[in-house]
Amino acid sequence: MLSVDSIDVFIKSSRILRNVSLKAGKGEVVCLIGRNGAGKTTTLRTIMGYLRPEKGSVSFQGEDITRKSTHEISRLGIGYAPEDSGIFPDLTTHENIEISTWTKTTEKSEEERIKLAYKVFPVLEGYKKRKGTQLSGGERKMLSIARALALDPELLILDEPFEGLAPTIVTEVARSIQDIIKMGPSIIISESNIYHVPDFTDTLYVIERGEIIFSGRPEEVAQEKGILKIIAGTA
Amino acid sequence: MVETIVNILFSGIFHASVLFLVAAGLQLVFGVQKIFNLACGSFYALGAYLGIVFVKYFLSVGGPPVLAILPLLAAGFVLAIIGPIIERGLLRFVYDRDVHFQLLLTFALLLMIEDIIKLIWGTYPLSTQGVYLAFGILDIFGASIPVYNLIVIVASIVIAGIMAHILSNTRFGRIIRATSDNNEMAQALGININNIYVKVFTLGTVLGTIGGALVIPSTAAMSEMAVDLIVLAFAVVVIGGLGSMKGAFVGALLVGILKSVSFAVYPELEMLLIYIIVIVVLVFKPQGLFGTAT
Ligand SMILES: Nc1ncnc2c1ncn2[C@@H]1O[C@H](COP(=O)(O)OP(=O)(O)O)[C@@H](O)[C@H]1O
Ligand SMILES: [Mg+2]
Repeated sequence: MLSVDSIDVFIKSSRILRNVSLKAGKGEVVCLIGRNGAGKTTTLRTIMGYLRPEKGSVSFQGEDITRKSTHEISRLGIGYAPEDSGIFPDLTTHENIEISTWTKTTEKSEEERIKLAYKVFPVLEGYKKRKGTQLSGGERKMLSIARALALDPELLILDEPFEGLAPTIVTEVARSIQDIIKMGPSIIISESNIYHVPDFTDTLYVIERGEIIFSGRPEEVAQEKGILKIIAGTA
Repeated sequence: MVETIVNILFSGIFHASVLFLVAAGLQLVFGVQKIFNLACGSFYALGAYLGIVFVKYFLSVGGPPVLAILPLLAAGFVLAIIGPIIERGLLRFVYDRDVHFQLLLTFALLLMIEDIIKLIWGTYPLSTQGVYLAFGILDIFGASIPVYNLIVIVASIVIAGIMAHILSNTRFGRIIRATSDNNEMAQALGININNIYVKVFTLGTVLGTIGGALVIPSTAAMSEMAVDLIVLAFAVVVIGGLGSMKGAFVGALLVGILKSVSFAVYPELEMLLIYIIVIVVLVFKPQGLFGTAT
């Protein structure tokens, strides 16, 4: 499905990622965990084609996407909800979602895709006509995921979807993500808080200073005291 | 008294209409591509010169002067061709460069086009003879208003309406607004921004060339007109707020009317009043009346 193979990524000539590899199989939920500044966003932005690796490659469904432009990557079926949500402030909730349905045609009709997005995040349906600027942080996070979902993607990339949310909203968003999992796409979630790693995670990757230092099942990392300390920042 | 006021008002609104078209193009391009395109002054000048060529030909083959608006619009639209050439051939290489470099580049473009204009049309002022007054003169409260001015005002309002409709109600317009809000996110939703950039730049170009073509029956085309206009467009954008269409509209109206008021009261100081207002806005409300940029 998605395969990141030993990428090195530089930003302004300093190396941010070193030899990072990760895989997400069909329908798999992958969680990329690491402290602030560990390299999660950089990894996800490289997958999306915003950054080019100096070394290594990224492939999606067997196709090399390392040099593809972001809009092409999106149209191949990767939906992306960035850390800052990236909501268009000047557009309404509904307009934000609609745009995703114009750029890529899938088996589902535009109406179906929009309906599905609202079904997963019913709160948004009440704010259809509100502009992006009038939404709360939690609503923006939800809209960002809903909009990525409206692409009808094979893979969803969610960069810290729970960041800055009140505990009740975290539960609500986690429940929505579970609904999305039932629809079948693969999901990559990044997270900095070990307590936010969702129960439904299949594979966990731990990133620290731009390197993957652990990968395995979530129960396995629970055994690794050293790794847990690094994630918590107490190592 | 009333007569003078009406005269000043209409002449101001006439200038505002043309200024709005060019400023709208400038704002649109700035909003989406984040480039302050000084060369829009040259597009205006090119529109004027080609407008004269087209009108002269039109009249020489027996076209009636009252239909001269058609060759003028045609000149504006034909010049759309320079949009993709400049965007694909030049600007696309500099989107990542810093603002100063981009400004210098568009200024260089302005100077180059000015030279090309001199090369083709010479340095003497040119004009369309016998078109301006062919539409007649209307008596409004004792003031004599050339009907041509009214036509341009109406044309400009219609174009403003079409633009507003495109931006708020069409898919293309929403994609433009999304790209202007956050072009990285637009790409992640599958929007090919190169494609949007060419289209937006071409639209901005045509607004400038049409502005130049429409104004020319009322005045003479001179090679310096590009620089003169960019100074006014700059005032419009500073007063109205960078990147805002509403700002272009209100800013153009203010600058147009101020210009004609000061011209009537004390012609030597025509521009001074505008500069003073620009400075006041820059000091006390640097984002302009409707701008969001800081
Ligand atoms: N635009 C940038 N310029 C300079 N350094 C950057 C930039 N973006 C990220 N970095 C650096 O790259 C490292 C990884 O950042 P990031 O991928 O955002 O981490 P995370 O998402 O895990 O918090 C950090 O040390 C950060 O300072
Ligand atoms: Mg991050």
